[in-house]
Amino acid sequence: MKRLRLDRLASQLLAAQTSPAARLLRPSTISRSIPQTCRHSSLDYNSQPCQRRHQSTAASPAPVEEEDHVAEVEDGEPTPEDLRNGPLPSPHPSRAASSAKLAALHARLSLSSKIPLETLARALVDPSADAHPKYNNANLAYVGSTPAHGVSSQPPPPGEEVDPGLLQYDPLKPTVVMNKWGYVRANTFESAKYQSGKGLSGRVVYGSNPFGESGPAKSLPDFEVENDRNTKALYLQDAAPNAYANFVRAVVGAVYMHCGRDAAKNFVRSHFLTRTLDLSKLFEFKLPTRELARLCAREDFEAPVARLESETGRASRTPVFVVGIYSGNDKLGEAPGPDLDSALVAASINALKSWYLYSPGQVGVPSDTFTEDAAAWKPAYVDIGEIIS
Amino acid sequence: MTIRALERVSVGQNGIGSFILQCKRLDIHYCDHSGSSRGMNAFIKTHLSKFAQTHPAIEFAVSPRPRKHPVMIGHYINGRQKSICVANMEPSQILKKAELLRDASGDKVKRVNKPVTSINESVRGVWSPYHGNGMAV
Repeated sequence: MKRLRLDRLASQLLAAQTSPAARLLRPSTISRSIPQTCRHSSLDYNSQPCQRRHQSTAASPAPVEEEDHVAEVEDGEPTPEDLRNGPLPSPHPSRAASSAKLAALHARLSLSSKIPLETLARALVDPSADAHPKYNNANLAYVGSTPAHGVSSQPPPPGEEVDPGLLQYDPLKPTVVMNKWGYVRANTFESAKYQSGKGLSGRVVYGSNPFGESGPAKSLPDFEVENDRNTKALYLQDAAPNAYANFVRAVVGAVYMHCGRDAAKNFVRSHFLTRTLDLSKLFEFKLPTRELARLCAREDFEAPVARLESETGRASRTPVFVVGIYSGNDKLGEAPGPDLDSALVAASINALKSWYLYSPGQVGVPSDTFTEDAAAWKPAYVDIGEIIS
Repeated sequence: MTIRALERVSVGQNGIGSFILQCKRLDIHYCDHSGSSRGMNAFIKTHLSKFAQTHPAIEFAVSPRPRKHPVMIGHYINGRQKSICVANMEPSQILKKAELLRDASGDKVKRVNKPVTSINESVRGVWSPYHGNGMAV
């Protein structure tokens, strides 16, 4: 497996070693004496002089390409200060150092002092609040895409005046959704409009809530920018969870960028992987008896047979039947139930779960091989999977 | 497709893996003139800077509240608040109250009458009357 060179891809996320804040400064504060290394993104200030930043670029999860507009400012083009029109969409990074909320959040998360407050402030700006990729957390979140853990309180509407220690997002603006989970597809505006999500496959693909329904399409404002990169911008039904998740990913990305891989692994382990999640409650079976029969046929087991193990109170108001499922002499599963049918179904589910929810024990992760004299990566064996499709 | 995925949120237990202080902000209100604020004013002058230095995870906000008793209000991650009126208290007593607000989780005070509270399944399992040979009465 070839290692992804994240440090090279995301070099723009790292502040300069001498003054971490200098690179994160707003265009409006840049004087001409500061070397213009990263002032301009790919948006073109010349062609659209009155364009506000949040109207200018698509919030792209991909790392921003290297800048090549270094020489433009010296040519006497209008400075960004002249172009500023109205309030900034998110707080100025220079306010980060004076925010008590931000310093408290930094300390509460036990972040290293190598991570500057400006980076943490940037991690709190969702692409829906500020679409400029240099001032929102899309790129940091792309670097640190991992599971989530919320921190902040209910956010105020985004804008320049907001305390930089608060999470900022706008439910009516497009944002960035990180999808790292197999077949779960983002609920785009188009899919909400054209797909009811009621079909069987739609319930799986568009399963944005526990019932697999994506909800009715909301009437949404027109896209602010019509360019080819932004037409697939994502309007979410519920923007808050995505904003929180993006913030968490951005913090992990910031830890990775400023403190390295081991620190990021420790951060993820201590904050996310120690949380408790019961895997056996993560799925439900529609036709468990049928699926168990197919499973036994596939594995060359004898056909499953249900037997009544024990019962009590058959004629009473609250009977209990204990049903066991046997394949030959092997007992596959067992469950109690108030009637024979539901006990049979529950026993089938138990049998299926005991088959599928095995744990391979302690297996490593691919990044274990990055250390010196590490053994070659041997992936864990994964079952051939579902049998009815 | 007979398997449907269900959404679950993992349960975090603070202190397992990482510890996050639940008190995120402490509001400190005082009055310049009232006698009930004398202890609070002394607390702000003598104890508060050291207390704030040792607790960087808490945001401190000191503001006057003229003609009112001095109060301390703790704001917690779960969105709740806890406020304590510290009128006529000595600075050392107020420090105790500040530590109380720092250590609180923000939840409502609950009666704990079980020696162990756990979200893990019992190792031994739950006794079943439907298994085994039963008990002769």
